[in-house]
Amino acid sequence: MPEWIDYFFNYFVVVYSAAVLLSYVAMAVLAFLEHRKHYTYHDDAYTIDELKKSPYTPGISIVAPAYNEEKTVITNVKSLLSLDYPDFEVVIVNDGSKDKTLELLIENFDLVKVPYAYVEKIKTKPFRGLYKTRSDNPAFKRLTVVDKVNGGTKADASNAGVNVVTNKFFVCTDVDCVLDKYALYRIIWPTMSSTRRVIAVSASMRMSNGSVVEEGKMVETHPPHSLIPLFQDLEYTRSFLIGKTALARINALQNVSGGFGMFDREIVIKAGGYDGDSFAEDMDMVARMVRYMCDTGEDYRVVQIPETCCWTEGPPNFKVLNRQRTRWGRGLLQFFTVHHDMVWNRNYRRYGMLTLPYIMIFELTAPVIEFSGYLMVIYLFMRGGINYSTIWIAFLGLYIFAQLLTMVLISYDTWVGTAFKKKRDYLWFVLASLLEPVVYHPINVFFSLRGYWKHIWGTQMVWGNMTRKGVQQRKPLANPQPQQHPQAQNPDA
Amino acid sequence: MEYYTLSRYAYWKYYILIMYYRLAEYPPVVRAWFVFGAICLLLLVLVVLGNAFRTLSHYRFERTARHNSRRYWERMREIVLSERTLELAEVGSILELPKNYKMKERHCRSFIPTLLELKQSLGDRISRPNWLRLLQVLKMPAYFESQILSGSTRKRVQGFKDVADLDANLKEAVASRYLFTKDRKLQMHARLHAARFGTSYPFKVLEEDPNLLFTDEMVVKYHNVLVYRNENGLAMPNFIRWCNRVPLNEELRIFAVNEIRLFGRKEDCAELLSMLQASRDEAFSCAIIRCLGELEYVPAEKEFCRRYLSASFTERQVLAEAMGAIGSGNKEILKFLVDDFLQTTDYVTRMILLRVIYRYGEMGRKAFYQLKEKTSEEYQPYFAHIECDLIDSSRYA
Repeated sequence: MPEWIDYFFNYFVVVYSAAVLLSYVAMAVLAFLEHRKHYTYHDDAYTIDELKKSPYTPGISIVAPAYNEEKTVITNVKSLLSLDYPDFEVVIVNDGSKDKTLELLIENFDLVKVPYAYVEKIKTKPFRGLYKTRSDNPAFKRLTVVDKVNGGTKADASNAGVNVVTNKFFVCTDVDCVLDKYALYRIIWPTMSSTRRVIAVSASMRMSNGSVVEEGKMVETHPPHSLIPLFQDLEYTRSFLIGKTALARINALQNVSGGFGMFDREIVIKAGGYDGDSFAEDMDMVARMVRYMCDTGEDYRVVQIPETCCWTEGPPNFKVLNRQRTRWGRGLLQFFTVHHDMVWNRNYRRYGMLTLPYIMIFELTAPVIEFSGYLMVIYLFMRGGINYSTIWIAFLGLYIFAQLLTMVLISYDTWVGTAFKKKRDYLWFVLASLLEPVVYHPINVFFSLRGYWKHIWGTQMVWGNMTRKGVQQRKPLANPQPQQHPQAQNPDA
Repeated sequence: MEYYTLSRYAYWKYYILIMYYRLAEYPPVVRAWFVFGAICLLLLVLVVLGNAFRTLSHYRFERTARHNSRRYWERMREIVLSERTLELAEVGSILELPKNYKMKERHCRSFIPTLLELKQSLGDRISRPNWLRLLQVLKMPAYFESQILSGSTRKRVQGFKDVADLDANLKEAVASRYLFTKDRKLQMHARLHAARFGTSYPFKVLEEDPNLLFTDEMVVKYHNVLVYRNENGLAMPNFIRWCNRVPLNEELRIFAVNEIRLFGRKEDCAELLSMLQASRDEAFSCAIIRCLGELEYVPAEKEFCRRYLSASFTERQVLAEAMGAIGSGNKEILKFLVDDFLQTTDYVTRMILLRVIYRYGEMGRKAFYQLKEKTSEEYQPYFAHIECDLIDSSRYA
């Protein structure tokens, strides 16, 4: 290997790594400032109480696409209907399911097809009909089921849901997600307390794999006790409580998760809705909303709230993880192909000047650089060129930094009072962070590269079915404690 | 042979020097990395210790709160449910607090969850004088005062919230210190506190603050405060004066109009109507129209019709809904609505007009079916949509 390549690689990697680590430190600091602000001024129980009593509390629509969900759809819809909020509707979009999803919904909720005057504000696959309940049950009256021809993507189904929602804000979620009873109060609050127009709100999500869920309701929260969902739980928590919180602090949040996020309906429609061809439709949606707001010169905010509002089932094995990460990798590359004009573009404010360049340099290119690093190590190992007296310092430093980040994450999580009631559950996070750099991370690098490869060569790709084990994996305690919303009565806790 | 014992400082210096010379063999990048790793390690230890300390203090707080709940629940219940107004000494003797027991900050704080639970579970059955005496014996007012006056921002904000939740009494002077503070959130909580418990005219600050940002959060909270004042017979603000006297803040004027609607103050309708005639602002006009509609103020119909043709689609929709809400059975109004349905081009306005016509009594229903017969096949789904009661069952039931 020519010597200049060796030099270039060495210095490039040093500079790149230093920049990555500094960006992590900066994010941790920004997230700290945001959590401190939240901790200082926000009181969950008080806020919920105020909103419950008020006639000014705005209505929210929940849009949940369902495709071949016959096993879980009834429990999950009942769970959505049992949420605590004064004014909400649940719109289930049956995306041309081939199983008995629609039949079961009709049977269980006493639904009947109604002559709904459907207006296609966002283009979707053909609309077949809309169902409403005949039952006198007031909870069932909140339910609307939209039946449409299968569009092949969640985006298309979500767009059909957006076309029928009646409230100013809608929450986009998956029908298999378990929502916190008070999730809607939490997610609406930033739109009311902000002096600027809030166009989207993102809430924290966790893995439900280790938790106890009964009748679609979260009874006890625990971290997953199998490795892959545990890694993903740690990754999600880090992403929401550090990465997204930090970016939201400077109003440069790049993504509102498709699992649970709230959007301003008017802006979504004006921005053209979800892109049915995108593999990263949630990130694409935020980009298009930001594009619309910046092009029209309007002020806006995209907010991240630290409270865990939603639990979703993580990939249980490498096969499903592979499919998910390959799709994410492909979606990321596709995103930059579509929105490349926003990168380094001052018109798009911090989103264009900070967020997108950051993602491009440190997320899009990272798998390529890391992979070349692995190849370099193998090459040097074979040539006997590894300096064993210094390499341990490099690894140890990185390892300590990773552990520090996890401990900071745990302290943020306990500070904002979110997920685990039993503090010993956090030991699972420590375990995951010990193994993550050597087990989980290299595999994800490979899956991301696979996604890039598929995008470049235009390989046909469809949304695969998620293999679900069900979330009631662990037995509940003899007397399970009902899940309480974090009562912020203890200022020092 | 002489032995020298190194001082503690020299001992550390010795080891640091050893490390320094060891590291001097390495290139600068490795040395920098080593320093970075050492700092991370130090921070890691500190964060772990911080987490452990916080977890322990949290457990300790929970244990104390549980203990208080177990020990004092029944006694507190007895006090607040007593039909007779108890003396302070009596309250103290029922509680059986240890003699010479000094209420420290953490003790007071640990009582709050129990008191909140008690208040929520008993609701209106609580005797207010006894409740205030109970709080006094537990030294809660003094605790809140110290929290608000000398605590961190978090404790101040939390103090105001706890006072509101517990319906405790606090000196007006405590909150007045923060009525114009730069911290917007703290200022809001202080003002809310003053508005909730103030005995004179606590809304003056709202009228006089030129930099007021009246967010939806404040709308929600001020409404709850006004409901509280109304229920407790405290002085209510003159909303119509707000509408007139606060030209600086449009949101506050809209809030005042909405409050007239929610409190059902029909006596203000005539003045609102005259304001509507002079109003140029769409949001303010829409609030007045909605208010007059919901309060079924029939004389407003004429003005509604006058405004309608020059109004935007948004205002037209509000006007149509207001005419429907008044539902005076006026044939002229129905004719106006039907004519506009035939002329308008906006889909949402058409649907609203159609719904209003359908619900406009017997004659409205008749006009609806006449329109249905007249209209082409293309628009029949709209009629079917309005006719189906199931579609908007949750909204228009």
